[in-house]
Amino acid sequence: MKQERKAALPRYGEYNCALKYLVEQGFETKCILPPPLSRRTEDLGAKNSPDLVCTPFKTTLGSMIEALEAGADTIIMVLGACRLNYFGELQEQILRDLGYTFDFINLSIYNTGKKRDILRALKGINPRCSMVKAGKALYEAVQMIEHLDDITSLYYQNCGFDPTGTYPKIYRQFISDMYAAQNLAEIREGYRNASRAFAEITLHKPQDPIRIGIIGDYYTVMDPFSNLEIEQKLADMGVEVHRLMNITNDMLRNSEKNKQAKIREFSEYSMGASSTSDLWQAQNFAERGFDGLIQVKSACCMPETDIMPVLANLSQDYKMPVLYLTYDTQSSDVGLTTRLEAFYDMVEMRKKVAH
Amino acid sequence: MQANQITGIAKKNEEEGISLAVNSVPAVGIPRAMLYYRYGILWEHFFQTLGVSTMLSPPGSRGILEAGTKLAPDESCLSMKMFMGHVDTLIGKCDSIFIPRYSNYGYTELFCTRYEGIYDQTRNIFRASGQRFITCNIDAQNGSPEPKAFEQFGVELGFSARESRHAWREASRALKQHQKAEEHAQKELASRPGMKILIAGHSYVLSDAYLGKPILDYLDAAGTISLRADAPEPETARKVCAKFSPTCRWLVSEEIVGGVLMWKDQVDGIILVSAFPCGPDSMTNELLVRRIKGIPILTLVLDTQSGMAGIETRIESFLDIIRFQKGEMG
Repeated sequence: MKQERKAALPRYGEYNCALKYLVEQGFETKCILPPPLSRRTEDLGAKNSPDLVCTPFKTTLGSMIEALEAGADTIIMVLGACRLNYFGELQEQILRDLGYTFDFINLSIYNTGKKRDILRALKGINPRCSMVKAGKALYEAVQMIEHLDDITSLYYQNCGFDPTGTYPKIYRQFISDMYAAQNLAEIREGYRNASRAFAEITLHKPQDPIRIGIIGDYYTVMDPFSNLEIEQKLADMGVEVHRLMNITNDMLRNSEKNKQAKIREFSEYSMGASSTSDLWQAQNFAERGFDGLIQVKSACCMPETDIMPVLANLSQDYKMPVLYLTYDTQSSDVGLTTRLEAFYDMVEMRKKVAH
Repeated sequence: MQANQITGIAKKNEEEGISLAVNSVPAVGIPRAMLYYRYGILWEHFFQTLGVSTMLSPPGSRGILEAGTKLAPDESCLSMKMFMGHVDTLIGKCDSIFIPRYSNYGYTELFCTRYEGIYDQTRNIFRASGQRFITCNIDAQNGSPEPKAFEQFGVELGFSARESRHAWREASRALKQHQKAEEHAQKELASRPGMKILIAGHSYVLSDAYLGKPILDYLDAAGTISLRADAPEPETARKVCAKFSPTCRWLVSEEIVGGVLMWKDQVDGIILVSAFPCGPDSMTNELLVRRIKGIPILTLVLDTQSGMAGIETRIESFLDIIRFQKGEMG
């Protein structure tokens, strides 16, 4: 008899809690969590990747290697709209060349425009699983993602104004509740606890705080390790940090056509992958009178580079400063802190002059 | 003064469709870069059949690349910088500049996101110039496959749907003929005796007078026969690639990868040429290097700073290695 399958997905922000939930509850397969991303993950990935590929490729490859070291025997890789579609095949080849033995479930093979094919690919995780059960778990995992995005966005908007300093503790507790959740009731309870705890704290927020919006590519902007915890850094300076780019807004409740219609003046057609959402969000922040915008992208990200001239025009029209940040496998965050401080000073000064 | 006049014409035409050469200014400018090297014949014949005058930007040069480097975002690929330089040479010299948007031919035939965003990106970069840009949106996933897209484009230019369809048919016939001729030329080259090198790369890199041509010239001067992976039989090449790498969905890369696989047994060495930092190439070239065994492969990445000296040295030593392997050198 074949040994029980131990599946793993590379680390992706905190979303692994939902992915783990789906694999364990829905497909009744053990899910191995790779160790949290670290300098070692990036080094492993960068060493074995082609030079000019984008940073998420390197990071996820490193995470896959660490998952295999942690005992996983099956790697699941997702698909996407840009180079992400091709990640799986090349990563599998690199891992096999490194001498690892494993099963590889590449959802990209089934990207044919038919939802049925994706379901067939997922069934490959555990052929004997019940699709009803998987569907139910998928619904619950989606709920978990929505709660996670909700709490995360609440956290970064407010934690800079919390006099008691308990915000991080509540957030960490919530994350660990999500990883531990076994059913929908536990997910909801974790969410309720965190919301209630947040609501109990009286914030010291000025009437008109400095608000900065963050946009960027799917991976770097959502993964705190990859973006050197930019949101926390800004929040610690006393900024209300807004990020609309998350799975809930961009994949579950996305309406690309409507967004495209709204940004018609700047971009008539989709410029690929995250571009439409990014531009729509940038315009949305600008219309709401935000004090600044930060674009977080990985080095060599194609759609994010292409929208830079559009962002420049948008910034000019709405008089909103933009900071463009490019992340590679960096080893130090001092440079980032300096740039953020300078940006903060400029934004703060503009705000004072405007009043 | 003249620039103002032209801007005036462009503004007037926005209401009236397109003019056929007013004041001897060509109606449509075409940048000689990016997908021009793949679809240029199609576009030119399309406009020609409709009787629209066109103007082509001059061949790539150092000056054009330098102008483009200043205009495009720093992290854009070399070809995109070249493209912006070409657009710059056309600004104010023609009524509108034609920048088609190639997104996909379906779920399995995609284009690099650069071509998807190229129209809007250019429009934004040159916003202050007042130049008019026109596009043809090829996006089969969203109900606009190539024939329909060109039909609609023709109608937008002020021609009837029938005329536009006819023009597209003529144009695609011309493109097919051109591909056939290239195929024959390649087969003829392959049948000649001598050392053969297969060059794989995007046609807009290899055919560019400033980027790829010096490499091809150098190989000719060194007495080798250079075959091109991007030239022959696109349909067959794509089928070959689908077996070799099932999730490779970039149409252009599929053809190059397929071309490499089809010709690799007839050559003595392969040179993979890519422009810094080309997205699809960064991955497909890695896969080729990992999966093709038993034949020397040289990877060249061109960037804005490449002088020919460094590249010549690398090609020279690559050719030496091949000669050594074949026992032609002591």
